[in-house]
Amino acid sequence: MSDNLTLPAQQGSTGASTETLLKVEGLTKHFPIYGGFPIKRKVGAVQAVDNVDLTVGVGESVGLVGESGCGKSTTGRLITRLLEPTGGRIEYAGQDITHAKRKQLAPVRSEIQMIFQDPYSSLNPRQTVGTIIKSPMEVNGIDPAGGREKRVRELLELVGLNPEHYNRFPHEFSGGQRQRIGVARALALNPKLIVADEPVSALDVSIQAQVVNLLQKVQDELGIAFLFIAHDLAVVRHFSQRVAVMYLGKVVEVGDRDSIYNRPRHPYTHALLSAVPEVAMDDETENRERIRLYGDVPSPIMPPSGCRFRTRCWKAQDKCATDEPPLVQISGNRDGHLTACHFPEDPTTESRGEDVVLDPALKALEESAGKD
Amino acid sequence: MLLEVRDLHVEFHTRDGVAKAVNGVSYGVDAGETLAVLGESGSGKSVTAQAVMGILDIPPGRITGGEVVFQGRDLLRLKEDERRRVRGAGMAMIFQDALSSLNPVLSVGDQLGEMFTVHRGMSRKDARAKAVELMDRVRIPAARERVKQYPHQFSGGMRQRIMIAMALALEPALIIADEPTTALDVTVQAQVMELLAELQREYRMGLILITHDLGVVADVADRIAVMYAGRIVESAPVHDIYKAPAHPYTRGLLESIPRLDQKGQELYAIKGLPPNLMSIPPGCAFHPRCPLARDVCRTDEPPLYEVSPTRGSACHFWRECMDD
Repeated sequence: MSDNLTLPAQQGSTGASTETLLKVEGLTKHFPIYGGFPIKRKVGAVQAVDNVDLTVGVGESVGLVGESGCGKSTTGRLITRLLEPTGGRIEYAGQDITHAKRKQLAPVRSEIQMIFQDPYSSLNPRQTVGTIIKSPMEVNGIDPAGGREKRVRELLELVGLNPEHYNRFPHEFSGGQRQRIGVARALALNPKLIVADEPVSALDVSIQAQVVNLLQKVQDELGIAFLFIAHDLAVVRHFSQRVAVMYLGKVVEVGDRDSIYNRPRHPYTHALLSAVPEVAMDDETENRERIRLYGDVPSPIMPPSGCRFRTRCWKAQDKCATDEPPLVQISGNRDGHLTACHFPEDPTTESRGEDVVLDPALKALEESAGKD
Repeated sequence: MLLEVRDLHVEFHTRDGVAKAVNGVSYGVDAGETLAVLGESGSGKSVTAQAVMGILDIPPGRITGGEVVFQGRDLLRLKEDERRRVRGAGMAMIFQDALSSLNPVLSVGDQLGEMFTVHRGMSRKDARAKAVELMDRVRIPAARERVKQYPHQFSGGMRQRIMIAMALALEPALIIADEPTTALDVTVQAQVMELLAELQREYRMGLILITHDLGVVADVADRIAVMYAGRIVESAPVHDIYKAPAHPYTRGLLESIPRLDQKGQELYAIKGLPPNLMSIPPGCAFHPRCPLARDVCRTDEPPLYEVSPTRGSACHFWRECMDD
């Protein structure tokens, strides 16, 4: 297998931008677990994020996908420095901010903003919309030309809300409108990078499309780089130029959008893509390949040795339990498409002829049903 | 028909006024059939199900009209103790959030076993054995050991399996699943949906699947009823609806979901917001957001026009909608 590998290529070498805005190397976050009586001591750690490498170019939008508990949100919070990393390095615009102090961080903070998932709990119910959007400017001592109030009205208009609603409270708005307020607040400081943590997953389908379009407009017009964290692969595909797939605290595959969605190599990416229930508009898509994974994601307290996906993988062999696969470019893949797998799948999403069923009980059931 | 809902009306009396949550909903489910009820939050899909199940909070809710005929009896006319016997044995419900639907201080074995001790008068020991059997059936590994565990010791997917097991316990004729996979991850979602469909076929149950996810529906449903502002706006066999939606709202929904095999450009978005249930627009409730709206839509409420013998659409211009 090893002759099949080439040296890792520089990430971000494809795509529109060549200039790197954010560079993350070996990022690690372990949450300690304390136990014991009467003296509490550290008995273990939740390995939420483990050795993650990621780059985001200027004006580029990168998607981060994975199931719940895979560490995608923790990664976002580490990058915005809302959490202190256990190890690794975060470089923003050439400046190391991994352990930067409050004062050093202040100018960077205004350039990295965040949009949160839940538009209900992320807005202070006792503040008016105007105050909410204005407060980042107050905190950072920014006085835009024409005053802060004028800027707030501009922002409201930009995100498609009525500027006259300046004095209203969050409860007077619907979920989609609240998320627009969250977007306006993130834009208040003219950020260069926005970390959007599941920005549309709490919204209804028809409203989701409106907010996705808004984010796309913001990205196109203002040239803001996005780290788009989501579990919905279709939304990520729509929004991101590059995509990183995470599993149990590690990036298992990263590459440009077309490469990941049309030529995935990692078995987990295959499984994720095939698990998405899809609307069959025509009869062709109905015979799509189906991979049904067995069981749940293992505990990040004691992740499996070697490759972390091996316990649910249909290609797993002895080597997977002992050697952790490096994130490298596999021959036949485009530049920048890196996969962490010893036994990668064929680069296709075409039907494999028959379903891969990993649940033994389900398999037995299907076979008996087939005989009837 | 196993279950037939006829012209159901439900209102909620609140401090600010009367919210008309369900305004004349009719649908039916046969044994072995899956009906998907599709709609956004506030469309009345869950309230309808709660009224059918008899778990609507009254007050503030009030059923102001209609019939719910289940196995030949109008449930709305039954006394509470008769209804209680229908619940569980005749029809059962699976909820979205398994963690808050299960009792955190009882082991899952006790909760599953309770179905048998209360409804069937079994001994605790027999009930425990039944609980293990059920957990096996929903494919929970090592059921014999895990039956003593508490809900928090199970993962999200496993908890939802326990909910399914509980619903199946008394082998009901009808199961109502309210967003059963919304809280789960995609890979687990597929497992749970598969299991539910499999078991439904095995027991030949009727299944009402309430969801907002068009993708989930496409895989398992036989028929779809699309709800908007407390009414059914389109009802059709699943394949017809995806090929050519006969209502502008359905079409908008279908076009506004990003698809795996598409990327890039702007998504189609239905403009505006769903209506406030305290002041539903006159005429067709969808007209302020509808691209096909004309004067007649503002004044006349469209009936459910017959598009084909198996299909209905509540749009004055359904022909036009299908032609586009």
